[in-house]
Amino acid sequence: MKSLSPALASLANVFRVPMSMAPARPSVSRVCHEILRQQQKPGPVTAALQASSFSTTSAMAKRKSGGSTTDKRITMIRYFLHHPLTPRPLRFSRNRYLRHWTIHRAWQLFQAQQRRKQELELMRQYQSMQEACEELRTGAGDGGKLFRVSMNKKGIFTEMFPIEYARMQTDSPPAEGWNYDWKKPERR
Amino acid sequence: MAAREPSRFLSRALPRASVPSIRPQGFLSRRNVSDEAPSRRLSDHLSELESGSSLSTPVPEGAAQSFDPVARAKARKTQLPRGRYQFRSPKYDRGPLHPHQPPPASDPSSRLFVPGPFSAPRAEQTYDSTVASDIMSLCYVHTPPGFKPPPKAPRLREWDDSSPYHKNRVLRGPRGGDVLRLLRKPIKFNNIPEIERITIHSYVNKAATENSSWLHVAGIAVQAISNVRVETFKSKTSVANWGIVPGRDSVAVKAELYGENMYHFLGKLVDVVLPRIKDWEGVKGTSGDSSGNITFGMEPENVALFPEIEVNYDMYPPKMIPGCHITLHTSARTDKDARLLLSAMGIPFYGKIVN
Repeated sequence: MKSLSPALASLANVFRVPMSMAPARPSVSRVCHEILRQQQKPGPVTAALQASSFSTTSAMAKRKSGGSTTDKRITMIRYFLHHPLTPRPLRFSRNRYLRHWTIHRAWQLFQAQQRRKQELELMRQYQSMQEACEELRTGAGDGGKLFRVSMNKKGIFTEMFPIEYARMQTDSPPAEGWNYDWKKPERR
Repeated sequence: MAAREPSRFLSRALPRASVPSIRPQGFLSRRNVSDEAPSRRLSDHLSELESGSSLSTPVPEGAAQSFDPVARAKARKTQLPRGRYQFRSPKYDRGPLHPHQPPPASDPSSRLFVPGPFSAPRAEQTYDSTVASDIMSLCYVHTPPGFKPPPKAPRLREWDDSSPYHKNRVLRGPRGGDVLRLLRKPIKFNNIPEIERITIHSYVNKAATENSSWLHVAGIAVQAISNVRVETFKSKTSVANWGIVPGRDSVAVKAELYGENMYHFLGKLVDVVLPRIKDWEGVKGTSGDSSGNITFGMEPENVALFPEIEVNYDMYPPKMIPGCHITLHTSARTDKDARLLLSAMGIPFYGKIVN
């Protein structure tokens, strides 16, 4: 079998590429497979066939007092929890580093522009709200009654948003977006 | 050289595309009758493209003569490292005076570098496009131009000078307890409350009374639902009937979620998990630390409803799936603002609302 360079072998190990038949560290699939095989209960036919000559149970598991009584699933959870999955830091040559840096700066710039746009939009909304309220207060001609009604904050902080409002937006909303027949169910 | 390649192809491709072809391009794209409409003609779109290319600008004579990269490189005072030189970030922080300093975390050679983000979470999109402006308009309080609010009493009270010993004494705390609450500013376009981070915390008392497997299962379950590496904590208080000694037993796991992870977790919570909890009325209205952080608990059987745990439920010992406390940290200064935000994001509240 062709032997890999140590760097390639470790990469293959990190990314779980089955390159060599005997990996330095037992691979995930092998561990899972072995553990699941140990857990498998033989069916009646297999049990009858194996009763006489041959057993898959290991000697340690067969021994009554000895052997580990830990749940196999916990063994597996410990394996994955303490497994060093982090690959080494990325190392780029000069050109690839510059390319990365350019993309990173462009992305930061784009995000900053997005944030700025969002903030300006909110500011525009706020200011037009301010203007509308000022107009309602002074120029509506009803002595400011509408303005006082509009400033009423009753129930905002106690009843809050109805739960139907909170619907996460989707990429593909339904064609019929609104169910007009829907009624809010009565609370018990 | 490489920059010239596309322009050559483009110049060859452009006249071909502008000629209306007789044969339908069946394999590449579907053709409709409406495509022949004058507004949708391909050639019209192409005619909008700028025909001139900056690459065809004639190069001045002297430029090619003076371009000598070898001489330029030699003329450098300090030579650049060779092309395949790779910087190694120091493994340990040795302080600001050490010559070998780690690069910023956005640098790919940094040990703290995390690539991404790789997705745009639905919860974030919903917040940015709808919820933020709705909260702003709900909380709007109009003040006429030129209005100045009357000055408030100082938060820390002075001592009445009834005794000569009051001189230079530190100021008294507020009435009714020594806690200085956070100040709530009126909500404007630049301080709309948003979710800052989510903490998932799980206290596993069996980790101290029985064995470490409880903590391991709790850790991997929290990792699975949060996509964040957990931290473990030792007990700070002694609990006599569980036999917990402070500082000896690791009893808790915690994951802190920011940014993309946080919004994905919130989306899962609101869309998948909370609606399936049986007879769940919502988060208690009295929950919260009165500075804008709301906590609620999840029972083990509800944690098992998370899609990541549900898909391979068999791989977890069912008794050991932990319950957890989920804290939603918001940038609101009071609980009522935080609740308003969370109710807009889909978390119901019930019972008496206490601020």
